[in-house]
Amino acid sequence: MMEKIATFHTHFGAIRFHKRLIGLGDNAVMMPVPRKLSASCGTCVRFSLPFDPEWSDEDLEAVYNVDGSGYQLFFTNEEE
Amino acid sequence: MKKIKEHLPIILMGLLVGAASVLLVALGNPANMGFCIACFLRDIAGALGMHRAEVVQYIRPEVIGLVLGAMIMSMIGKEFKVRGGSSPVTRFILGMFVMVGALMFLGCPLRMIIRLAGGDWNAILGLVGFTAGIFVGTLFLKKGFTLKKSYAQSKLEGLLMPAANVGLLILVIAAPAFLFFSKTGPGSMRAPIAVSLVIGLIVGAMAQRTRLCLAGGIRDVFLLKDFHLLIGFVSIGVAVFIGNLIVGQLGLPGGFHPGFEGQAIAHTDGLWNALGMALVGYASVLLGGCPMRQLILSGSGNSDSTVTVLGMLVGAAFCHNFALASSAAGPTLNGKIAVVIGLVAVTVIGFVNTKKV
Repeated sequence: MMEKIATFHTHFGAIRFHKRLIGLGDNAVMMPVPRKLSASCGTCVRFSLPFDPEWSDEDLEAVYNVDGSGYQLFFTNEEE
Repeated sequence: MKKIKEHLPIILMGLLVGAASVLLVALGNPANMGFCIACFLRDIAGALGMHRAEVVQYIRPEVIGLVLGAMIMSMIGKEFKVRGGSSPVTRFILGMFVMVGALMFLGCPLRMIIRLAGGDWNAILGLVGFTAGIFVGTLFLKKGFTLKKSYAQSKLEGLLMPAANVGLLILVIAAPAFLFFSKTGPGSMRAPIAVSLVIGLIVGAMAQRTRLCLAGGIRDVFLLKDFHLLIGFVSIGVAVFIGNLIVGQLGLPGGFHPGFEGQAIAHTDGLWNALGMALVGYASVLLGGCPMRQLILSGSGNSDSTVTVLGMLVGAAFCHNFALASSAAGPTLNGKIAVVIGLVAVTVIGFVNTKKV
């Protein structure tokens, strides 16, 4: 299963997403956002389950596929 | 090998900041200060007449360089994203209290490590307090603390902070008579403007690339068991320590002078050194970054960080107008009361903004 990284506007968003994924049985981990993905020093969540757009809330920024050491944008949470 | 490659930029960044700090002291900046963000914002507030403490008034080109260097680098990397609106008033207040804590200790987290690597053992107490403050802040983060998300804003909103710094640069070069520049004391101790500016530009640009953050370094250890940013923090200390040994040998200003007593621009009250830095660490974690990181973000389009920096600037003026700032003689009663109020206020802000995860 391809690993994914979700980035967030807030640390709170990362905690809530992480908790949801753990509840679904995923082995999700919280970690600093990779520098390639953001200039911010926020928290991201690395997970394996197929991403469901239903999981997105206002704190979710984007989801990337992890391909080796590279990242491909998979989902962007459009802002109003 | 992969690990070393991953950490190399932050190690080099830390070494660069440390070396720059020693060089700035050797060229005229106050001892064990080099690059202190709190001290320099306090000096700028004084130069603009926001406070009248005659010995700490000067427009520090290092601060201007940090903001403009971060702006240039973020634009080159297409990372100049203008965002803001995440609880700006709360951030302003937290910024003020960061300054109250920093001027109790007499230094920001960066000066804390510079003082430590210069042999000022009073900074050990500061580090203990700083770490404790960050730890408490991370408990709030784990429980669901949030200042809410930021929103995209107009380009102008992000450009005003760099523009203001261009204005400050013109003022420091022109030095018109209406400004207040110290003739004695720390504010009169200055490296040449061009050197200070260039070093600020380089450090600002590199800090934007590497995301160096002194509060973030310890926060990530508690929160994510990640040591990346902390390595940068430690690298600064190593570079300052080695640099101090070298300048000491050469007989230049600076050097390594171990002890508690007689340290440059420092006092020996351990409890209040610790509590001051506890307040800095506590508020910085809730803000998402140390004073230097806030400056870097303010140059990168983050208007929330600009508001925080403005809070620090006003906080510095408060500290000197109402005798909250410590001196070599020690902390003041007003300062102690302000630090306690700060710790209570930050705790209230923490509880009020914590949501159920």
